[in-house]
Amino acid sequence: MQPERYGPGLRMRLGESLASLHQLGRRAWLALLGIAMGCAAVVALLDVGHSAAQHARQVFQGMGSELMVANLMPVADGGARAPVATGFAAAPGAVRGLAPLAMTVADARRGAASQSLMVAGSTPALAEVLGLQVQHGRLLAARDAGSTHVLLGAGVASQLQAGVGDRVQLGRYLFEVVGVLAPRGYNPMVPLAVDDAVLMPLAGLRRLSASSQISVVLALAADDTRMAEAAAVLQLFLQVQMPAMQVEVLLAQQLLDGMARQSRLFTGLLAGLGGIALLVGGVGVMNVMLMNVSERRREIGVRMALGARPADIAWLFLLEALLLAAAGALLGALLGVLAAWGFTAASGWQLHLDPLSIPLGVGSALASGVFFGLQPVLAAARLQPVVALRDD
Amino acid sequence: MPDIIRLTDITRRHGEQTILHAVSLAIPCGQTCAIVGPSGSGKSTLLNLIGLLDQPCTGQLLLDGQDMTHASAAQRAIMRNRALGFVFQSYNLLPRLSALDNVALPLSYRGVGLHAARRVAQGQLAAVGLQARARHYPAQLSGGQRQRVAIARALVTEPRLLLADEPTGNLDRSTADDILQLLLALNHERRLTLVMVTHDPQMARHMQRCIQVSDGRVSDGHAA
Repeated sequence: MQPERYGPGLRMRLGESLASLHQLGRRAWLALLGIAMGCAAVVALLDVGHSAAQHARQVFQGMGSELMVANLMPVADGGARAPVATGFAAAPGAVRGLAPLAMTVADARRGAASQSLMVAGSTPALAEVLGLQVQHGRLLAARDAGSTHVLLGAGVASQLQAGVGDRVQLGRYLFEVVGVLAPRGYNPMVPLAVDDAVLMPLAGLRRLSASSQISVVLALAADDTRMAEAAAVLQLFLQVQMPAMQVEVLLAQQLLDGMARQSRLFTGLLAGLGGIALLVGGVGVMNVMLMNVSERRREIGVRMALGARPADIAWLFLLEALLLAAAGALLGALLGVLAAWGFTAASGWQLHLDPLSIPLGVGSALASGVFFGLQPVLAAARLQPVVALRDD
Repeated sequence: MPDIIRLTDITRRHGEQTILHAVSLAIPCGQTCAIVGPSGSGKSTLLNLIGLLDQPCTGQLLLDGQDMTHASAAQRAIMRNRALGFVFQSYNLLPRLSALDNVALPLSYRGVGLHAARRVAQGQLAAVGLQARARHYPAQLSGGQRQRVAIARALVTEPRLLLADEPTGNLDRSTADDILQLLLALNHERRLTLVMVTHDPQMARHMQRCIQVSDGRVSDGHAA
């Protein structure tokens, strides 16, 4: 006796659910707000996390994937001053370009301007390894080794208002500027902010500080697909050259991997927070639906007497829960994007929407609405008509 | 004349308590029939079983020739919509629907569109003399008018059997008489079988048949 088609059409069901939601008034708004907050949290957190990762990636893109950074640490009891190796010309084949770096801090003075600056001593190979380019003048060459020639970072040049040919006093010596570097930006791999530093030949650094010695060796791998191998070769090469030092080679990839791990953990944590917010929103939906069903018990009985099947009753209330969740999800998605935009703008990053954030946020909000709405909905559908109609 | 209702050895229990004891009953098509008895005698339970709002524990229930004893909840709902009309003591109109939409509601479960359903409902409201009140909400109507809306709602699906549970219980004497006359006229004009639970002997007297329920057992009698 089951007819081919029985029960109201979808449009009619939607209309009925909308009308009863309207009836719920402020209570519906509260449940909706709960869901919206949950969805907004998921969307905002995913988008902020994604934007942060994108920002970090952009920062690291400037580093060059072939760059290797070897940190040198004196072995604690090797008190004897290690002979500083300068025989880097004979670098192994897997390593291309090898630049030792020694650093000290010195007071720079030019005319009235005076400030404390980072001064780095290295070989001409540094320019190749870091891809340095001059804005004015020329780079340092091998013939500058014994001279008092210096290169200024872009920031230093503008602070001291010094140009090519000017003289700058560093410590107790006067140095001659032979070039000003183009602005570089900060590279988190390199322990030297090139823009804010003065570069000079390694030997020249002795004039500023007798104790300064090579603490870092920068190198490029010949083949960027075999970084691990190149790192091992570099490590062994430096260890042999400087037995009194402990050598530790860092790769850009390692930093990137570590950051990716951290960012995954962070995203998981944030998603968990969003989940908790959704849980709270879902409980709000459940509360509204439970009250809704118990207040409309008699209506359920009347509808059943007039021919509503359990499935029709279930649809009536399920659509209400779904509409609530959907409205909350849409509102939440909007709020979430706005919040992410506000946060990234305040952090000075660019907003990158995670393509998954909105589907995930809206989807989980809908799922939480249905999940928490389901129990009251099923309770309504399982009511016996005679029980639902009973006076009490 | 075929029976529209046939109950065979119907028993209904609530836990330990037996509300109906092996009730057998047949009501032919087109009959008007009162169910009378003291409070708690089981007459409402009997009406609920006939109306497929409740299920018997044992026995067999035939409605319009179909065995509904073990029908599923959905099958019973469809049968209620197709063959039965209900009129309740407390009207049971949905307060946030207009009189017209209350009357149109049963048609929506048949998949009839809103406009078509409203057209048919308008006709039924006219049949109970309330065409002018179609846009009113239940709260804006008197008791008698509400019951007329409820009757129009029961009739809109063109059922063969009208079940009324104390339809005049909340109404004053003259309004009650009007409602009774309306129900009797419907029985006469549409060959509608009418089964009415009532406390009121005067109401019962207007029925062709009177079924007495006491302590869960039925005995037949004709109204004086």
